[in-house]
Amino acid sequence: MLQTDNLTFRYKKEGQIFKFPNIALDENENLLILGKSGIGKTTFLHLLAGLLSPTDGKVVIDDVSINLLFQSKLDTFRGQKIGLVFQKNYAVKSLSVLENLYARLFFSKKTIDNDEIDKLLEQLGIKDSKNSKIHELSEGQLQRLGIALSVIHKPKIILADEPTSSLDDENCKVVIELLKNQAERTHANLIVITHDQRIKTFFQNSITL
Amino acid sequence: MNIWKISIQNLKSKPLYTFLSILILSLSIMLLLSVQQLKISFKNQIDSNLGKIDLVIGAKGSPLQLILASVLHLDNPTGNISYHEAEKISKSSFVKLAVPISYGDNYEKYRIIGTTKEYLSIYNAELQNGDVIKKPMEVILGNTVAKQLNFKIGDTFLSSHGLKENDIDLHADKLTVVGILKPTKKVIDRLIITNLESIWNVHKHEDEIDEDNEIHTEHHPQKTHDLNREITSLLISFKSPRALLTFPRKINKETNMQAALPKYELHKLYEYTNIGFQTISWIAYLILLISGMIIFISLYKMVKERAFDLALLRTYGASNLQLIKMVIYEGITIVFFAFIIGFIFVKTALYFIFKIVKNYYHHNILQELSFNEVLQTGGLVLIMMFLSISLATYPIIKMNISTILSNEK
Repeated sequence: MLQTDNLTFRYKKEGQIFKFPNIALDENENLLILGKSGIGKTTFLHLLAGLLSPTDGKVVIDDVSINLLFQSKLDTFRGQKIGLVFQKNYAVKSLSVLENLYARLFFSKKTIDNDEIDKLLEQLGIKDSKNSKIHELSEGQLQRLGIALSVIHKPKIILADEPTSSLDDENCKVVIELLKNQAERTHANLIVITHDQRIKTFFQNSITL
Repeated sequence: MNIWKISIQNLKSKPLYTFLSILILSLSIMLLLSVQQLKISFKNQIDSNLGKIDLVIGAKGSPLQLILASVLHLDNPTGNISYHEAEKISKSSFVKLAVPISYGDNYEKYRIIGTTKEYLSIYNAELQNGDVIKKPMEVILGNTVAKQLNFKIGDTFLSSHGLKENDIDLHADKLTVVGILKPTKKVIDRLIITNLESIWNVHKHEDEIDEDNEIHTEHHPQKTHDLNREITSLLISFKSPRALLTFPRKINKETNMQAALPKYELHKLYEYTNIGFQTISWIAYLILLISGMIIFISLYKMVKERAFDLALLRTYGASNLQLIKMVIYEGITIVFFAFIIGFIFVKTALYFIFKIVKNYYHHNILQELSFNEVLQTGGLVLIMMFLSISLATYPIIKMNISTILSNEK
């Protein structure tokens, strides 16, 4: 499902060279990537998501070498196959919860299924806030919306960048469980990149950068 | 969900900026259209009121004043000329039509002019109802006068002396309305027309009374009186434009009267006023420029401040082009509403301006803007907006999603 080969990245010509280990994930396999700050965790994640182009090497998702895609094709591909979760969860501020989900589906060219959306919001416990504006949500609700936005379009890969670093132990556990459940439900690979040692126990596969 | 809806939501989420952008743009559209409309109305008013008048002959003085008084009926006349002299000129072989006019009185600020029946033909004016003037002390009313004063055929009134309304200096002779003209949208709409004799009669009595009181001399014989008869000016239409070259010079040189060319004088007047219109136009253009900048800043700010939102949309699968469309749609929405509000502003503002003008001049000079002129202003506004919006979308093209998303913390 996901493979990387000899991924290398360099920010500027004279900049530091990041070399990343090769990874290969089969369907339903999850991966925890651990690493200290500044080691290029986010860079690795952005390379996997096609947000950055590698200086060398390649990323293959669903048998497609994403680095060979044209920009607009890559945008569509990313929109359909990848779900991103950020450390601090954001959604488009001018839209409501529901409108954010609609926009998510619109841009990934997926049809809107209101039952599906309700079910997902129910599972994440934010169904009551579905017409709320983003600024009306609490941190926890926002975190859940972030998860909802990363899975609503049934991606092949969920990439989470430090999803738990600002959470207490209890919420940390809740968020990881939610992410794992959603990944399982949608048959997606879950890749979590973090320096947070607490979540080691939730994953069978892990690598350290 | 589509891009339009997102754009509208974006606008709704920053109501103050949206409101300000729409307001200032509509204001500049209003100014541009108003200036254009006033300018065109003014020019049209001047052009249409010339009718077929090629030359105006009157007492010596300012030629512009003579034209303003005799053609546009705005200023006071320069003085009087001898009717006898005027008649001699009328008989010249160059002259196709010569219409004498005589001023002196008003009723409720509407000027009463004594003239001949040819005066109506200058403006192609026709009777709406009633009849032509057959004897002295009968009057025909311009359409506006009849409407404003609510006069009907057969009504009578007393004129007051001079061109300003007053209750003290009333003439004793009653004037009777015999006809009302159809509206022409020209100056004749606000005039009260009578024959020359009516004016002479009204003033003759007074002259006689004055003379009786002051000098107590013998009665003038009829013949001398005819020679002493005066008119304010003579409006002339030539058979051929060639006469314009020689005729005015001859009058100015050989008589104690002056000949003024209305086209030339009014063109000069139009040039003077044009400076004012130019200034307002430049102010309007400046405001348009500022409104373009405000719209640019508002959109640019949106793009910069919401860089993370835009990057997020990119991770949702949105392409650069879709994000650019989003900003463009926001701009278009602002421009669209500004046009509608601007248009309503123009109509309201002009309604009040013309109401004031009408009260002052007793005349409606509103001239509708042609589609072409609206299109011209619209085109200019659209070019300006196109520039502002294009500039605002530039950061999207240069956007680096990875950097924006990495800097979230």
